[in-house]
Amino acid sequence: METNAFACPHIRLTVNGKAYTREVRPNWTLYQLIHDHLGLTGAKQFCDRGACGSCTVIMDGKAVLSCMILAVECDGKTIETVEGIADAGHPLIDAYVRHHAMQCGYCTPGFVTTSKALLDNNPKPTAQEVKIALSGNLCRCGTYPQHTIAVLEVSQKLTTS
Amino acid sequence: MGRMSDKEEQTMREMQDNLRADPFPLKTYTHIGKRGERRLDGYHKAGGRADYTMDVQLPGMLHLKFLNAPYPHAEIKHMDTTEAERLPGVRYILRYDHPELPPRASLGKVTGIYGDPPPLSRFAHFEGEPMGAAVAAETEAIAEEAVRRIKVEWEERPFNLDIMAAKDKNAPLSYPEMYPDSNYWNNGFFDVLTQGNVKKGFAAAGRTIEFEFNRRGHTWIGPERPCGVFRWKGDSPELWVKQQRPHLVKKNLSSWYGGVPMNKIKLHCLYQGASFGGWVQVPWNMGPLYCAGLVAKETGRPVKYAFSRREDFYGQSMDDGIYRFKVGFNSDGTILAVDCTTTFTNQIWPVFNPVNHLRENTRIPHLKGKIETVWINKGPAVPTRCEQLPASLSLTAIFSRVAAECGLDPVEVALKNDGVEGHDLDHVAVEKEKLGFPVIDSLAVCVQKGKAAMDWDAKWHPPGARRLPNGRMHGMGFTWTNEWDDSLGSSEMAIRIERNDGTATILSMGCDQGVDAENTYCRIAADELGLKLEDVHYNPQIDPGFFRMSPDSSTNLSVNGWAVRHAARILKQRILEAAVRPTAQTQRGSFRPAFPDCAPEDLDIADSVIFRKSDPSESVSMADFVQAAGQSGPITSTENAGFRWAFTEPLFAFSYHVQVGSYNPHNPRPHLTRQAHFLEIEVDTETGEIHIVKVVNVNDVGKAINPMSCEGQQYGGSVMGLSRGKFEEMIYDPVTGVMLNGNLIDYKIATTLDVDAPIDTILVESGMGYGPYGSVGIGEDIGTVMTGLVGPAVHNAIGVWIDDHPITPDKVLKALGKI
Repeated sequence: METNAFACPHIRLTVNGKAYTREVRPNWTLYQLIHDHLGLTGAKQFCDRGACGSCTVIMDGKAVLSCMILAVECDGKTIETVEGIADAGHPLIDAYVRHHAMQCGYCTPGFVTTSKALLDNNPKPTAQEVKIALSGNLCRCGTYPQHTIAVLEVSQKLTTS
Repeated sequence: MGRMSDKEEQTMREMQDNLRADPFPLKTYTHIGKRGERRLDGYHKAGGRADYTMDVQLPGMLHLKFLNAPYPHAEIKHMDTTEAERLPGVRYILRYDHPELPPRASLGKVTGIYGDPPPLSRFAHFEGEPMGAAVAAETEAIAEEAVRRIKVEWEERPFNLDIMAAKDKNAPLSYPEMYPDSNYWNNGFFDVLTQGNVKKGFAAAGRTIEFEFNRRGHTWIGPERPCGVFRWKGDSPELWVKQQRPHLVKKNLSSWYGGVPMNKIKLHCLYQGASFGGWVQVPWNMGPLYCAGLVAKETGRPVKYAFSRREDFYGQSMDDGIYRFKVGFNSDGTILAVDCTTTFTNQIWPVFNPVNHLRENTRIPHLKGKIETVWINKGPAVPTRCEQLPASLSLTAIFSRVAAECGLDPVEVALKNDGVEGHDLDHVAVEKEKLGFPVIDSLAVCVQKGKAAMDWDAKWHPPGARRLPNGRMHGMGFTWTNEWDDSLGSSEMAIRIERNDGTATILSMGCDQGVDAENTYCRIAADELGLKLEDVHYNPQIDPGFFRMSPDSSTNLSVNGWAVRHAARILKQRILEAAVRPTAQTQRGSFRPAFPDCAPEDLDIADSVIFRKSDPSESVSMADFVQAAGQSGPITSTENAGFRWAFTEPLFAFSYHVQVGSYNPHNPRPHLTRQAHFLEIEVDTETGEIHIVKVVNVNDVGKAINPMSCEGQQYGGSVMGLSRGKFEEMIYDPVTGVMLNGNLIDYKIATTLDVDAPIDTILVESGMGYGPYGSVGIGEDIGTVMTGLVGPAVHNAIGVWIDDHPITPDKVLKALGKI
């Protein structure tokens, strides 16, 4: 529930390289802050309890579920969303498009952010490591085979360039 | 401009005679059939810039949440909303007894079966039903809390969860408001399909088997929850809808709130977070939209409603039910008669007959398929990728059983019985010739390619005959059917050439379900017009007054493809005619044509350039030809002063297509294209787990206009179909009638690790489809057909039939006698 009965702290965080200071309500999730208040709508809510991975963002280098983290916990954190990954021209975006690693697209940003975090931490994953990394992301359209193809191709490109 | 000429209309009708082979295909294809072409939606979706209805936020927007019934069958006797109203942030509470709420409203597509219920009912017919009250508040969280504070005095009623129990004449009524006499719909008669005489068939058959299976309730799980945003500007409504058929919203809305003129409705249909079925077109979904509109009217503020994930779980697939079969056949695998009776539940749409695919695709002479449907106290049952599920499940079960009984390879049994409406392939070959098609045996081609990819002949074995070194049992499954298309419908498509740069815009509202349909239509328009693909764009999210058949994920290419193709052909002719006509007619004369002394037939267009066929160097780009709109200068002052042209007439064309198509039980022509699917599994006899090892999908799509999109439906459909076959079932507490697993933790769908196997995707292009260039849709097929293939593969592995779907590990262990 949302009321004005609680103090609303200010937090400072960096999102896609930009510094923000925001007053946040104690019950806001990071997802609400990013999606509803910063207007970065790439992160999506598919489930409502950390089961689908569609709201994944990268926080201090790790893929996290933004619907399971309170915004007040993010003071001083550095966040990367799918918009930031796209604006930086990361080859994952192009690979996802070329390999049709999307259909309805609702879950796609969650896959892209999870994949980006994987490659940042493990630049040369095996196919099985990619599948395990993405096993927390649900896609009802069934695009799973294409994600592995896209991520491995980008891994190859980034590690040989 | 505007209406097409008599000649154009006559040509359209000739070109759209889709009962025959396409008499007017293109001589060459540039973008049609090409791999690696751009996805129009790709960067939006991958980069997080695709907007969905759930993302819509408007200034001052209120959030609407509904009271959910705590009981599976109950009536509100009294409601007190005082505590809810006191909560800060609550702006409006809509109650079932609001004077503006009508007792009935047009809230769906098929009204004859379910009727028109009230938008906000006093009666609950399943646990979790959104009903009774809706709270609008500043935030979703406040609205949810306010709903919890509503005090309701309920009168609980007896309820039915079990299909067979609900059939008993002494069973309590499940839905007395709509069906006061019985739980049967229409006294038990829903549909019956007959061909030949089954008694005669069974008498002639050497062997007969009878069996029964149960398909448990499962659901669609669209990632974007059901939602909509509604606001009023004076008497004009503006809506954002998650909806497969946006035109249906306009149609229904025009009758709401005392009537709204169609031309005052401003509709947006953004990217759709998938639907997989007809839930968007039934009152369960339309009622909340009605309520959102009424609350928006009452409060003067925009209102967004969004189901919770749990609320979305209450809808179910229409194939859920009990299937009983009697099959007569000979020991060589020839099937002579099938008698099937099915009992389904809560059919809001007319489900397709379970023997329909046997009629459409086989030479089996004697068929009878009877459907009865009863009301129980669960949610609405609608097509869920898709209404062909019962027919697909039945065909797979019957052919697999007969093959096993005869000790035959199921592929051989399929080939032996392939045909059309009781006729054999010789008869079908004559039909193909008469209709101008190549005499290609589509199933034989699919089977040959699929067997090779699967190495079927080396891998297939009699049931329960192969234990692997890892201790698991090895199983192979095969099924097949026709390549169907949802082609009973209409489509309107228009194309305009933009000023200044000569690019083309396709105009027609639809919904983007992710099958890259818009790009498919752009390819057709580009190749037909002679434009570069990047010069053709299509945004179906805006309402230009034209509506295509949608969702395209329901194989609507065979309708929409004709409409866009003919619009492009009319438009091209108009461009070429404009190119040879004097332009810029004014009071004082005109400018000379772009191509003087030329006839339209002397010209052509390629790569977005108009050129003279006899001398391609004489050319002008589309951009230079069309000029900018409203420019001043030579048109008003220097006519005929050396300018070749200065203004070209607006270039626009529309077309339409209305089709009976193959979606009708009385097909205007036989189904000629086939699909075949192969599955290899391993069954762990210690745990009961089913491991997917390999999948091969072969689909005769007639002509692959967008090959990667077709393949997406193959591997994507395999993942979803196998997920449904292995995992998916809504569990209800039999004592309370409450759903126990309405969330994505307790209701399992497949992940990357659950279908961790190669999926070979093979496309066959026989040119025998209903669509342009001989194409046929593929959107629903594989996800539907693969659902039933787990059972035959498990039987091949362990030698025991499991007749209770989904086939979960506990059922495997039970079949093995281990629990």
